[in-house]
Amino acid sequence: MQEPKIKFDHVTKVFQTRSQSILAVKDYSMEIAAGEFVSILGPSGCGKSTLIRMLDGIIDTTEGDIFIDGQKVNYAKKKMPQSILRKMGFIFQQPNMLPWFTVRENIALPLRVFDLKGPEWEKRVDELLELVGLTEYAKAYPAEISGGMLQRAGVIRAMVHDPEILLMDEPFGALDELTREQMNMELLDIWTRTKKTIIFITHNIEEAVLLSSRVYVMGTHPGRLVEIVDLDLPRPRTLSMITQPKFIQYREKLEGCIGEIDLSKIK
Amino acid sequence: MAKNEAITARKKKEKRDPKGIIAPLVVLAIIYIGLEIGLRAFHVAAYVMPTPTHIIQGTIKSFAIILPDFLFTLKIICIGFCVAIPAGILLAALFSQFDIVVKAMQPVVIWLVITPMITLIPLMTLWLGTDPNLRVIIVIIQATPIICMNTLNGFIHVEQEKLELAKSIGATKLQTFVHITFMNALPQVFTGIKLGCIFSTIGAVSADFVSRGQGLGDRIIKFLKYSNFEQSYGCIILIAIIGISLYTVAEKIEKRIVLWKK
Ligand SMILES: Nc1ncnc2c1ncn2[C@@H]1O[C@H](COP(=O)(O)OP(=O)(O)O)[C@@H](O)[C@H]1O
Ligand SMILES: [Mg+2]
Repeated sequence: MQEPKIKFDHVTKVFQTRSQSILAVKDYSMEIAAGEFVSILGPSGCGKSTLIRMLDGIIDTTEGDIFIDGQKVNYAKKKMPQSILRKMGFIFQQPNMLPWFTVRENIALPLRVFDLKGPEWEKRVDELLELVGLTEYAKAYPAEISGGMLQRAGVIRAMVHDPEILLMDEPFGALDELTREQMNMELLDIWTRTKKTIIFITHNIEEAVLLSSRVYVMGTHPGRLVEIVDLDLPRPRTLSMITQPKFIQYREKLEGCIGEIDLSKIK
Repeated sequence: MAKNEAITARKKKEKRDPKGIIAPLVVLAIIYIGLEIGLRAFHVAAYVMPTPTHIIQGTIKSFAIILPDFLFTLKIICIGFCVAIPAGILLAALFSQFDIVVKAMQPVVIWLVITPMITLIPLMTLWLGTDPNLRVIIVIIQATPIICMNTLNGFIHVEQEKLELAKSIGATKLQTFVHITFMNALPQVFTGIKLGCIFSTIGAVSADFVSRGQGLGDRIIKFLKYSNFEQSYGCIILIAIIGISLYTVAEKIEKRIVLWKK
């Protein structure tokens, strides 16, 4: 079998606060192949953000290991090296733009930090701005553009250093329904063209079915994997698929998984 | 392009808007005329308050006497202030590197801000001898803490998410400081600097009052002794002008640098 692009091997995360220790993720394992688009679905507080923050070196793991291309990437208490971080782009739930930089400066920030200089990278910034229709707002400050544009900027900032993996933490959750649908379609378009490996976090079942090839369903108390659902739907996906029987069948199945979680919580 | 043009157009309009200059001038003229008429109508004695015209006339007449003191005070304020800015920012940067130092130093800095340095001046005159130039030190210890306090506030209140962004791209400590922590604090740094203008002026004049011999503060007392009320008021206005000019320069620089805050 081909080596997985990303592998979680029995990963556990405990947050130690002053008053208590919180078991945020318990014994989580998954394997994702290169070029896959997978979703992690679960109710709020089940540890979804914690998972990809561990993968991206923002926080460390408590137990277990994480591998990218077969290389162990979780160093206890040590910063993840840039050579690994460069493989990933992180898209935050909020646009998380730095208000003191212009849109262009924000998007180019990873290039500055990764020390990627030269005309080819400048050109890449321009192309990405063009791709999401932000060219004319390049010199604007974040406070001067709309929420949808900000989130688009967040997406291309994560892509600017040409990472192989995109980690998206409920990226479009703060947007209105219409903008969200449009962004989802744009994202699928980007994925089809670039074949990046994408981990997409959401608590929206429809979104998970529409976008991904596989859904990891998580439950709370403690945060853990409860079900893996493979989605056998044709590509390219379109919004009209939402009404097709197969789509509805998957949606109901996932609703069932989530429902069981809620029941187990009541007990 | 439309949007970009709109943004630049708005910026230009703000710059050119003459209301910002004319309105204060009108107020100034009203105060001048009001005082002039009021003071004459009610026959207010000159030792309570001379009329503005007399203040200006008196000050111009004695300007040769005032000038050296004016230049001396200006020098003390400017040198002290120029040392206090980097000192305050640097100290804040140092403190902010360690949570424990922040906790330890914050009360000390606040304590220094609140203590009126004028209370220390008689003692300092003892320690430092009587070289008038040492008044710079008073200005520095008066202005540095307020700049440090504001800057430190900006340094330690950075959104967690912004620091996570830095982590996710593997930014070094220095890069994180330059691109995020420092930029985040800039508006507060300028608040500190503007307050520092006021504190520097207060520091310099109080030093004159206590140590005497030179400076605008000293000149005010000398004029009063010989009942030159117009000239005393003239000196007060000159001190105010020094403070306001520094403040205005700081504000102008802030507008040029902190472009993202409207
Ligand atoms: N820095 C932290 N310190 C303490 N507890 C945390 C921290 N981050 C997350 N948690 C806890 O871990 C659990 C999972 O959080 P999170 O991963 O953000 O969930 P999700 O993204 O699925 O909503 C929650 O109970 C949350 O309170
Ligand atoms: Mg989350």
